Amino acid sequence: MSSNTSISTLVSDRIGLALSGNPILDDDFNSLALQIFEHQYQKNRAYQNFCLALEISPDRTNHWHDIPALPTEAFKIEPFPLVTFPMEQAKTTFLTSGTTTEARGMHYFRSTKLYDHSIVSAWHELNLPDARRSVFLIAHPEQSPQSSLSHMMGVISDQLATQSTWLLHQSGSIDYNSLISAIKDQQAVALFGTALSFLHLFDSMESPLTLPAGSWAMETGGYKGTKHQLTKGDLHQLFKTKLGLDSDSIINEYSMTELSSQFYSPGLDRPHQGPSWTRTRIIDPLTNTDAKPGELGHLVIYDLANVDSAMAIRTQDLAIQCQTNLEQKNTSFNLIGRDPSALPRGCSRSSDESLSL
Amino acid sequence: MISTPERIQLLTEACSHQEVQRWTGCITSDDLNAWLSSELGSALALDKFLPHGPLHSKAIAPKCILHIVSGNTPHAAFQSIIRGLLIGSHNIVKIPATGLHPFTDALEHFPKPLRELIETHNTLEDKDWLKADVVIAIGSDESIAAIHQKTKPDQQFIPHGHKVSIAIAYDDYENAAQLAARDVSLHNQQGCLSIHAIYSRGDSKHFAELLAMEMEKFCVNNPPSPISTSEAGAIRILRETTRFCASNDSSTQLWESKDTLNWTVIHQDEPTLQLSCLNRCVYVKPLPPRLDNDILGTQSAYLSTIAIHPFDKAEATSLENLSAHRICPLGKSQQPSLFWHHDGIAPIASLVKWKDIG
Repeated sequence: MSSNTSISTLVSDRIGLALSGNPILDDDFNSLALQIFEHQYQKNRAYQNFCLALEISPDRTNHWHDIPALPTEAFKIEPFPLVTFPMEQAKTTFLTSGTTTEARGMHYFRSTKLYDHSIVSAWHELNLPDARRSVFLIAHPEQSPQSSLSHMMGVISDQLATQSTWLLHQSGSIDYNSLISAIKDQQAVALFGTALSFLHLFDSMESPLTLPAGSWAMETGGYKGTKHQLTKGDLHQLFKTKLGLDSDSIINEYSMTELSSQFYSPGLDRPHQGPSWTRTRIIDPLTNTDAKPGELGHLVIYDLANVDSAMAIRTQDLAIQCQTNLEQKNTSFNLIGRDPSALPRGCSRSSDESLSL
Repeated sequence: MISTPERIQLLTEACSHQEVQRWTGCITSDDLNAWLSSELGSALALDKFLPHGPLHSKAIAPKCILHIVSGNTPHAAFQSIIRGLLIGSHNIVKIPATGLHPFTDALEHFPKPLRELIETHNTLEDKDWLKADVVIAIGSDESIAAIHQKTKPDQQFIPHGHKVSIAIAYDDYENAAQLAARDVSLHNQQGCLSIHAIYSRGDSKHFAELLAMEMEKFCVNNPPSPISTSEAGAIRILRETTRFCASNDSSTQLWESKDTLNWTVIHQDEPTLQLSCLNRCVYVKPLPPRLDNDILGTQSAYLSTIAIHPFDKAEATSLENLSAHRICPLGKSQQPSLFWHHDGIAPIASLVKWKDIG
């Protein structure tokens, strides 16, 4: 058995154990994180070189906090793929969204077994609602095989749902009639979509619907590169008006192509919570140390399920460390959103906000 | 209406005040007279009919100019208002929601007759739009497009959109590095005239190393102004991404201020012009045998200034095919002459209309 397989199995088994009431507590997490760090350091020369440049190595690292986090941009650098296995073994590649002229991040998988296990196990560990009757406003994985979100929906459809309805046609149009059919027996449904796809659905609806009692929705993603700029409150209001769903019946999912685990926030103004095989830090970029409680910083995610790529990821998203539950100090955060400085700017781009005409 | 000589006198008085001069540079009445003569043929072109071929012509200033200014630096706001005041127009200035204190504070030092020609607003009402004969917009391309949509066909529209500047170091690296450090660092790289990348002939890595030293030296007497969490985040991401590349590929190299975010120098062999995340982060690249818009890539369309060292008219002329409207000596990129054609536009001549007799 290769070391990749053994570490994957180790993590997978431990995630499985988490489901039987043994969440991964800090010591356990630390031990697993250090093993994965050693594994990634040894198996991925590009990451090892990065660590060497920072003068950090596994033999001198005792805490997961100190494991070097790679910026998500590193996933875009094609000559140095972030994999711990020979590239020819890559069976699945998820790509970040982007235009044809933009470099797109690449996340390679030899197997998505652990990835899929992480999705389903988190669902149970975090007590997410019933998804047996699922309706998807997201492209089917066959339509969009390089989308990690479509893959996730496929996993939900295959492993959590007993009845799945896919509303998004290849052309991008929404099959509204299928939604009507899915709810005609008045049994609760789970509705999955990006915030944008929900807006398209709302626009295409001739009259409001009231979803059957017990229905709920999961929305994900923002409005990057579009004209839409809705607050979460405004979006929830539309859910109420168009589908009869209260805020408590709406869950926001936060993840990214570069990760193998997801974070969830129910309702409004509640923190995002990840499964016990993840930890987060909020780093104040001015000092490059942990942001003070209640202060804004960049979200850094440690995801044990990212065994085959990079476990420690520095995102370009701004967040505030959750203060409500000390036990969840490093597994939950209040997401503020995409850092406005994430894109390179020239003169006047920084001044856009000034032009409130 | 105040005559041109009177306005020149009042403007000279305003620009002699320290708080104004800091942004406008030293402006004398001779400068203003010469500027008007250069753009309009005579410093008195706005006051009387003057011979113009077989005709007699008089320049007519717009009654009202609406200046919509951006918040990145106050320079463009000062330049725009000085032009409007010099020709005697009434000026409505739309200030960014985040404020533009160096500008609004400095207006208090303008003599009363000039102050009476200026209104500043944080938001614009329909009447302000309707009053304007000319709309000058300084901002991002998206904002410029939005402003353009609001203008009426009879309103003259002068856009100053997104711009970037670059430099070329041909030789004399020590001096070039010192001058480049100044052009990169001033105003925390927030302006259109701030250098994002320096193309160096010869040993570009050596130049990058010298530049890093000069960036550090410049900081000693000119520390950067405080930056936001978001700006700091952009620098960290840039540095870590570059560190990842540099640790795997010798064509990329990183120099950074120790324990601070004061400055960052990145050497890359790849010649495509990349935008910096600002706040004293600059790319150094080898100068290709032929520098053209194709090599620079999509950002070349936004070039404002190319600062070169040593400055030589022949070298400068050889760059005329690039889209930049200004080629100047390195070390001067942030101080354009009063006479410069801002984004290729004659700033006074473009504002006036003419009345002919004969």
